[in-house]
Amino acid sequence: MELFTLTFVQYAFTGGIMMALLSGVLGPFVVQSRQAVASDMFAHVALAGIGAALLAGTSPWLGALPTLLLVSTLIWWLLERDTYSPDALAMFFLSGGLAIALAFVHVARDTSFAFENYLFGSILTLTRFDLMIMGTATAAVLLLIWNFWYPLIGATQTPSYNVPLRSLPRFIRLMYFLLLAIVVWIGIKTIGGLLIGALLVIPVLVVKEFSRSFLQVTLYSTAVSLIAVTGGLLLALYVDLPPSSLIIGVLLGLFTLSALTRSLSR
Amino acid sequence: MTTPALQVANVSKIVGHREILHDVSFDVPRGSLVTLIGPNGAGKSTLIKIILGLETTFTGSVTIAPDERIQYIPQLSSNDVHQLPLSVHEYLSIGSAPLFTGKPVITDFSQALEHVGVNARVLTQTYASLSGGERQRIAIARALLSKPTILVLDEPVAAVDYASRQGLYELIRHLQRDHQMTVLLVSHDVESVMPLSDRVLCLNITLHQDCHPVEIDTKDPFAKTVHHHC
Repeated sequence: MELFTLTFVQYAFTGGIMMALLSGVLGPFVVQSRQAVASDMFAHVALAGIGAALLAGTSPWLGALPTLLLVSTLIWWLLERDTYSPDALAMFFLSGGLAIALAFVHVARDTSFAFENYLFGSILTLTRFDLMIMGTATAAVLLLIWNFWYPLIGATQTPSYNVPLRSLPRFIRLMYFLLLAIVVWIGIKTIGGLLIGALLVIPVLVVKEFSRSFLQVTLYSTAVSLIAVTGGLLLALYVDLPPSSLIIGVLLGLFTLSALTRSLSR
Repeated sequence: MTTPALQVANVSKIVGHREILHDVSFDVPRGSLVTLIGPNGAGKSTLIKIILGLETTFTGSVTIAPDERIQYIPQLSSNDVHQLPLSVHEYLSIGSAPLFTGKPVITDFSQALEHVGVNARVLTQTYASLSGGERQRIAIARALLSKPTILVLDEPVAAVDYASRQGLYELIRHLQRDHQMTVLLVSHDVESVMPLSDRVLCLNITLHQDCHPVEIDTKDPFAKTVHHHC
């Protein structure tokens, strides 16, 4: 228990809980919209933003946010135009984001920057300032989801014109993309850009068969996210493995348990 | 002469080199039930999207009278199951939650369900667990929550068993006659919609002459009927 008196441990748990709340609440919308790969796409775009921020000499994490918001708006616009298929767009931004990020980081290689901190997260290095920014972003995202709950459920259904909101879903979908961009942005600081997708999607897969409504899916998946993040962090205090891998390890364990329970109950 | 609830004038749409719709014009008078029939690929879905404002790249014009409120009831298919479970209460809430408040303005869903002949006990059930007929009625209830004056129904009996079809048609007729709603119905079920309709339009890229009930041999298979008359 002494470990919990350490500031970095307290910060890690605080940041992890915020991340779990965000991924648990937004995850059902990601699964429902059949755009699970979007989180990966945004993460790669964030890497390009980090590279650009490095070149500009600003904070990589803070500098990634404007790029993410801008490119997520562009992705939304392209998807709404329906010119390219979502999977082709995903590949374009996945590869493009990574290529640009590599180029930027290569040019700025004289810095003491560690790219893997953003690929696999650095939850144990969170600062008080990071937590303040994350807390503000978490509150804003949760408030928006709370307020636009039903329009968001409607706008993320496919096909979207099945929802009686006429032209409004496209703007709600823009909001959803921006919310996802913010969650991914917090994700790259905590669990890592390559792993945030798992935290958004797997909790929903764990609970969807045990739920009877969208609200239940959201509540249960948030609970699963919280268990995975706190469980993974607790393990990381005693096992010499990266916290992100342990968090996803707990999630995979819960998924296996849920799949077994489902198949046994049939 | 009263202004029609909906006017479609000289609507054409070309995608690439292919003509999807050619110079389509018709009026839907207030309080009438107009049915649109046509074979697959005739442009029915495109025309509906244009009328609803979901498709904006076309020539011609669509005019909805200023005091009219249009609502769309999509086609339910046999795989019309949401990616995640949705309770009937949530399904109805999506339809009645306006932007910028996000919360349903109407909470008495029991009355809406009663209106379409569905027991309010289904509110807590998962939408996907219901029969095709119940799902279609609930879809109509959701559309009615926003108090529309024009209903656009796309193949309302497509995912419904034969026994429930007549009940659904009666409900649609009841909404049109007793609630003075204007109804635009898209259907393949020529035999059943003929007696309901005030006017039947045959669409096959362009609009052919109206198909009057007497012209249709209802014993013919649909495809034969449409090709013969459209």
